[in-house]
Amino acid sequence: MKIQSPWPVKPFLVIATFAVGIALPQYIPQWYNWRIFEWATVPAVVDFQPRARAAEPLQEEAERLRPDSVPVKPNSSRIHDPTATMDHFYASLLKTERLQNGAVTRILHYGDSPTTADLITADVRGLIQQRFGDAGHGAYLIAKPWAWYAHRGVDVSASGWKMDPATLKGQKDGHYGLGGVSFIGQTGAQSEIKLKKPGHTKLTLSYFGQPGGGEVKIMAGDVEVATLNTELPEPGDAEETWPVPPEAQSFKIIVTRGSVRLFNVVFRKEGPGVVYDSIGLNGTWAGVLAVHINGQHWIEELKLARPDLVIINYGTNESGYRNYVETSYPKDVREIIRRVRTAVPESSVMIMSPMDRGAREPGGVIGTVTTLPKLISVQAKLAAENGCAFFNTFEAMGGPGTMGKWYMAEPRLVSADFIHPMPAGARIVGTLLYQALMDGYNSYKLRQLRHNVATAAPAAAAAAGAPGGEARP
Amino acid sequence: MLLSSTVYFVFLTGLFLLYWPLQRWRVAGLSVLLFANYFFYAKWDLFYLILIPGASFIDYLIGRGLGTAKAPWLRRTLVSLSVFMNLGILATFKYMPFFLATYAGFSQTKAPVWHWTFPLGISFYCFQSLTYTIDLYRKDGKPVRSLLTHMTAVSFFPTTLSGPITRVLALAPQLEKAGRQLSSEDGGKALFRIGLGLMKKFLIADYLAENLVNRVFDTPNLYTGMEALIGVYAYALQLYYDFSGYSDIAIGSALLLGLKLPENFNRPYLALNISEFWRRWHISLSNWLRDYLYFSLPGLRSKWKVFTYFNLFFTMLLGGLWHGASWNFVIWGALHGAALAFHHGWRSLRGNKPASANLAVRVASRLLTTHFVILAWVFFRASTLENAMEVLARIASLTVSLANISMPIAVVLLIAAIAHYLPKRVYEFSASLYIRSPFFAQAAALAALVLAIQYVAVTGAAPFLYTKF
Repeated sequence: MKIQSPWPVKPFLVIATFAVGIALPQYIPQWYNWRIFEWATVPAVVDFQPRARAAEPLQEEAERLRPDSVPVKPNSSRIHDPTATMDHFYASLLKTERLQNGAVTRILHYGDSPTTADLITADVRGLIQQRFGDAGHGAYLIAKPWAWYAHRGVDVSASGWKMDPATLKGQKDGHYGLGGVSFIGQTGAQSEIKLKKPGHTKLTLSYFGQPGGGEVKIMAGDVEVATLNTELPEPGDAEETWPVPPEAQSFKIIVTRGSVRLFNVVFRKEGPGVVYDSIGLNGTWAGVLAVHINGQHWIEELKLARPDLVIINYGTNESGYRNYVETSYPKDVREIIRRVRTAVPESSVMIMSPMDRGAREPGGVIGTVTTLPKLISVQAKLAAENGCAFFNTFEAMGGPGTMGKWYMAEPRLVSADFIHPMPAGARIVGTLLYQALMDGYNSYKLRQLRHNVATAAPAAAAAAGAPGGEARP
Repeated sequence: MLLSSTVYFVFLTGLFLLYWPLQRWRVAGLSVLLFANYFFYAKWDLFYLILIPGASFIDYLIGRGLGTAKAPWLRRTLVSLSVFMNLGILATFKYMPFFLATYAGFSQTKAPVWHWTFPLGISFYCFQSLTYTIDLYRKDGKPVRSLLTHMTAVSFFPTTLSGPITRVLALAPQLEKAGRQLSSEDGGKALFRIGLGLMKKFLIADYLAENLVNRVFDTPNLYTGMEALIGVYAYALQLYYDFSGYSDIAIGSALLLGLKLPENFNRPYLALNISEFWRRWHISLSNWLRDYLYFSLPGLRSKWKVFTYFNLFFTMLLGGLWHGASWNFVIWGALHGAALAFHHGWRSLRGNKPASANLAVRVASRLLTTHFVILAWVFFRASTLENAMEVLARIASLTVSLANISMPIAVVLLIAAIAHYLPKRVYEFSASLYIRSPFFAQAAALAALVLAIQYVAVTGAAPFLYTKF
């Protein structure tokens, strides 16, 4: 009697052999690394747990399948500042808060690609200006060297400029201005900068003067603000500031004669308030500020800017080059700090670590690129050695694997390269930085209060013990 | 339960083992399949266990009514009831948040929170269910007598998430057929299709998505015009491999249970014109839109040609809106609708002559059609209208650099493009080679594929793109 198989024979044999084949590595220690099936998956077939978000079942499914998918809640984090280097900044901020004589606090934030798009910095600027007042947008490039360049509340359209970012080392003299980009234009080159909100009362243009330098016309709306002759007897950097009508929101810079070399503009309002300059260079690394940009030139630019706080927020691009991090990187960071200290010795300097940078690991989980934690520990060490404050963005946002969680979050907080935050992700980091600055500022105020009480108490006691003195409860 | 997840394949294996010994008894086999269908729905949400059987039962009764009713008014009433019920299900459980948000925007009030949203599979279920009652209304078939068969056919799990949209009247007779057997050839074909689908999804679509497409669409301004253009080409390939990969798994899964589903793709980027493109891309949806929407619109037999053009445009506009309630999809649908209407007019002007046999004309037609489709995909993929304009502006910047196109990306792109254009006989030869191989070789090939997915592909079980719609 022929026994008939209850299953189609060949497909059954294929499936059975396949099942045995993929289950086998679990039981053979030498093959353990080749396992592709876990028995733990089987009970998931009868898992009918109710869904929290019926409208987003796919998202929930993804979270259940992936260990790196649960959005992280950021840890609280503070600025590490054992030498109280931030006190100058906090003192300036206190004056601004107390509305002392139109006190303006200026922060220069140097960063890489996220800063180029004003991500993070725009959020901090918004928050800090909301509390302490708005003293203007700050520095802005006169054209877009990268399509990615964008500042919140400002837009620029330009034509006719030859643009040389410091990253590409296009100018042999190393002069790139405060913003890190040199713009050369002939007659007819022009830029139109539009501000979303009015109220700016001063416009500063920094440029490179030289014998035979051309002429530019500055317009605020339809009003001609000035005509600037960039001709100087000796080549050198200069800047010019003009009052502009507060209602003006559109500004034009037009080359009317010859050839000019310009750097950036700065928009200011009447104080008190905070100016938060976002100075981003796409694809930059520490070597650009330390080597590509002429040291003396940058020192002069910083002197003119007179910042109260300089934030050096580099590291993402460096984290792709382990050798550089282990060899030349510390030297470059020391040189950056030396240059800043030489220019503005009284200013506070803070090293801000890069955000997490994700990378796929075997098995598909999004981890952290291996060099990043090493780079951050080097940054922390350099900050401590050189009397700088240090903000560990990486830890504040959740530490290793955060970009994996951000990538799986709904809506996504980081783009698919696991590097560039989406606006919602940038807002998280911006808020973390703002909170860290405010924590430090509040501690500073508390210290000041204690100090004042401590110094006032003996004086009060002495006053109470003195003849004719009157003790008060 | 995503069709690309381990959980799904554990489920499918269990079903295979249970179904074949029981299918020799009709009721037992159908019961197993119906249980599997509802199990599949329940994995997404237990509410489907009320919604789907309830709606299927009502459509079954309407179908029986259409089978016996003779009076035109009664037939119209019955089919209208089915249309209203199915569209009502769609409106209530899929589009209600959109309606509420639109009303809130219009009335400048806060949109109320709608908790009864069950978007997965609803569209495809409703479309499939409507094929039944509309076919019966048009007297294109006879009602399914068995309630069990009807409920099994209308909710058949492989087609639930993204099709292929299968006519109930095509599937039900297969389920009714007694003494079905799975030949070695069909079994081999089924496993080959499943393997092919997994390969398309994990090794091509997900790789391109994560390493290029998502990056370009997330942050277009970080890329040059050339890179953005390559990103858009990559998206065209990603979408094809993702969706056709899903269809392969669905078709293979059904075939493993002895059931044949319609094909959904036929090398779409080989189309000579936009009408042919829609005969090659998402064929089951194109057919559905043509048979159940376009043919139902007024003016089809009018002497005024303008009705034809308008109906083509309107059908694609609705097809666009079906993909999502946003301006992006409206523009995408309008572009395709306008192109179809234009092509229809052009063909009429030329006296409906067949396509030119001249090689240069054919190559130019293919390039033109493909590039129109690819550029329209920008609106389909972009998260917002601004995002679409950003991507197009980057392409228009004409900046050239390929710094972000690494060698592995270029290789995968090249393989994806070549594999799409390969003659069908190459695919058929590979399939027959696999089918003729001994069982252990077939199993080894599948295991090697899964290993490759584990170690080469990176993204895990990302949802198929089309389950969104």
